[in-house]
Amino acid sequence: MGDLGLSIAASGLDAQQAVMNTISQNLANASTTGYVSENANLTTLPGGDALGIGGGARVDSVTQANDGLLQANAAQTTGALAQATALQQVLSSAQGIFPEPGSNGISAQLSSFWQAWDTLAQDPSNPAGSTQVVNLAHNLTTALSQASGQLTQLQTSAQSQLGSVVGQTNNVLAQVAQLNTQIVASKGAGANPNALIDQQNQLLGTLATTIGAVSTTADNGSVTVRVGGITLVQGSFADTLEVSGAPGSVAITSASSGATIPATGGNASGLLAAINQYLPSYQSQLDAVANSLASTVNTQLAAGYTATGVSGATNPLFTGSGAAGLTVNAAVAANPQLIAASGTSALPDATNDGSNAQAMADLYNTPGGPDQTYQSFIQTIGTQVQTTNNQVQAQTSVANAAQANLQAVVGVDPNQQMVQMLATQQAFQASAQLISTVSTMMQSLLTAV
Amino acid sequence: MTDIMGGAITYTPSIIANQLVANITTDQSEQASLEQQVSTGNAVNQPSDDPTAAAQILQINGGLARAQQYSTNATDGLGWLSLGTSTMNQVLSALQTAQQAVLSTSGTELTGNPAAIQSLATQVNSVLKEVTQLANTQYGGQAIFAGTGNVTTAYDANGNYVGGGSAPTRTVGPGQQIPVSVTGPAVFGTGSTGLLGTTPGSLGVLAQIVSDLQTGTTASLTQVSTTDLQNLQGAMAQVENQAAVLGANYQQMQAFQQQATGTQQALQSELSGIQSANLPQAVTQLSQVQNSYQDALWAASKLTQDSLVQFLG
Repeated sequence: MGDLGLSIAASGLDAQQAVMNTISQNLANASTTGYVSENANLTTLPGGDALGIGGGARVDSVTQANDGLLQANAAQTTGALAQATALQQVLSSAQGIFPEPGSNGISAQLSSFWQAWDTLAQDPSNPAGSTQVVNLAHNLTTALSQASGQLTQLQTSAQSQLGSVVGQTNNVLAQVAQLNTQIVASKGAGANPNALIDQQNQLLGTLATTIGAVSTTADNGSVTVRVGGITLVQGSFADTLEVSGAPGSVAITSASSGATIPATGGNASGLLAAINQYLPSYQSQLDAVANSLASTVNTQLAAGYTATGVSGATNPLFTGSGAAGLTVNAAVAANPQLIAASGTSALPDATNDGSNAQAMADLYNTPGGPDQTYQSFIQTIGTQVQTTNNQVQAQTSVANAAQANLQAVVGVDPNQQMVQMLATQQAFQASAQLISTVSTMMQSLLTAV
Repeated sequence: MTDIMGGAITYTPSIIANQLVANITTDQSEQASLEQQVSTGNAVNQPSDDPTAAAQILQINGGLARAQQYSTNATDGLGWLSLGTSTMNQVLSALQTAQQAVLSTSGTELTGNPAAIQSLATQVNSVLKEVTQLANTQYGGQAIFAGTGNVTTAYDANGNYVGGGSAPTRTVGPGQQIPVSVTGPAVFGTGSTGLLGTTPGSLGVLAQIVSDLQTGTTASLTQVSTTDLQNLQGAMAQVENQAAVLGANYQQMQAFQQQATGTQQALQSELSGIQSANLPQAVTQLSQVQNSYQDALWAASKLTQDSLVQFLG
């Protein structure tokens, strides 16, 4: 019986102490991002005893409660949420450029513009009427070009945001590769790389948010990061990403292979969709409003004549095209009397004739005209913002659920840790009790001698 | 360490915290949207609130502005028409003065009483001047009988028509245009049956009467009481006819104005049906959301207390 079980009890104390340390570490990191709760795995020590009684307990290893499937799921849903959120932010800003329905929007300005033609028709010889038409036309072109400019600005800022997302991603990719090297080296040296793995988890979470990357872990602890089948990090190698292409066809490409990184998730994908699809489409719809306004008004003007019988085709009201390029004809702006309000070229009948101005006023809300083009544009933008809002809401609950599932496995549950602590405490006390019992036994033996 | 608890999903404090935060955020954004509805009274404050309704609202607003404009156009037209009618009434009463003067020549006692004849001629001449002035009546700086051919003047000093084109119209409904006046020639006639001509060689009815009176012969005085009188009465009938046309237009214009007002009201009620928030519902929802927001906050404040840690001495 050797030392009366003292060494076995001592190994128990050591082992329980290690378990207590693990619990302590878990509780300390209960709210650390990327921390995976740890388990101290105990095993029996072989004894030299002929009866086969073991030699006590020891800590075999401290392992992390990782779950690859849940982690991949959480990364994927986080990426999808980040994608929807990035798109939602850009589209909401785009919607904010158009204060509709309201009294200051382009819709209300169009309405006032048509009304000005009514006023002109009532008193065509009065310069106030034609001046008002020119002023309101000027307001419209200003509003259109301002809105177009704001859309362009939004595009620019989305692109620069994409640039910084890619920059951040490159940074993280390099760190992941570096950690790969350290983890492999640490494992090779028999050390415990759990803290490094926690750091890596945190970085992988960032990658899921920025570009929707997914990862797989090899047995040696090295992580491979992929986006849509393209490998970005493998072992100590980290790729660098670049933003390339003109607006409308902006893409993220790999610096090493030149391959285009598919937009499968993450902030970058949401921004790419906004830059390549949504914002150019809004811009072209706004251009369509401007062009429809110009062609509707100029066509009607061409059917009329000025008070002196000059054809309205000579002096269109609008020149240029597109929301940014549409302007009021400088000649008409300088001399509003050039507006062809009359329906006849015969003199003197044209002198005070306002029938063409009246016909113009009746063009409000004409099918395919500027009002309807603008209304359908507003409906489009509203529908798309509503859709992304719903997506964000749905993705938030999906991502929360995935995160909860993951946390249930890898997270730290203080209750569980407490119960574990009590069990460990009792085992420790029992081992200590055993030592004191052995001491008593030794004393009684010595007294007997 | 094995899972001593075993069984179902474990809720760690961080899961509970995340879910509480998510709930609080949802409550907050819902609360903001409801507060906006209650404070503006509008259910649709941006296109994404209800894209279809937003497009409808824009269309209805356009229609409302248009109906308002029809009503404004009609008000302007009614101004023209009532001025035209009252002007014609003044013309008629002036012409009646001339008629009485002409009728008083029917006796023969005037022959050889040049002073009496001259006074009648002066009387008719002043009627001519008055009618010429009335023919140039302006509404807001525009001569109402000049058609579209002249802004300020319908008849020159010699009683020649200097206007042109047809009478101006006002749009008072979709495709509904009503003339707000009549042209000078339609009211005052032209040539020898016209009222206003004073050019020697082609005198109008009134100038002819003055000329015949001033000639003063038995033949010319007979001319005054026969042909000239007939012409004058014919011209008066024409003015009366045109006054009736204006009267009819006035009624039509009024009817369209009422219609435009009715359209405005209908559109307004349609608009408020689409745009207005259901306030009782919004307020009720708001108080529900506020309650659940407070509950979530309360739960968050208790979060750290519910743990086994508290119960272990």
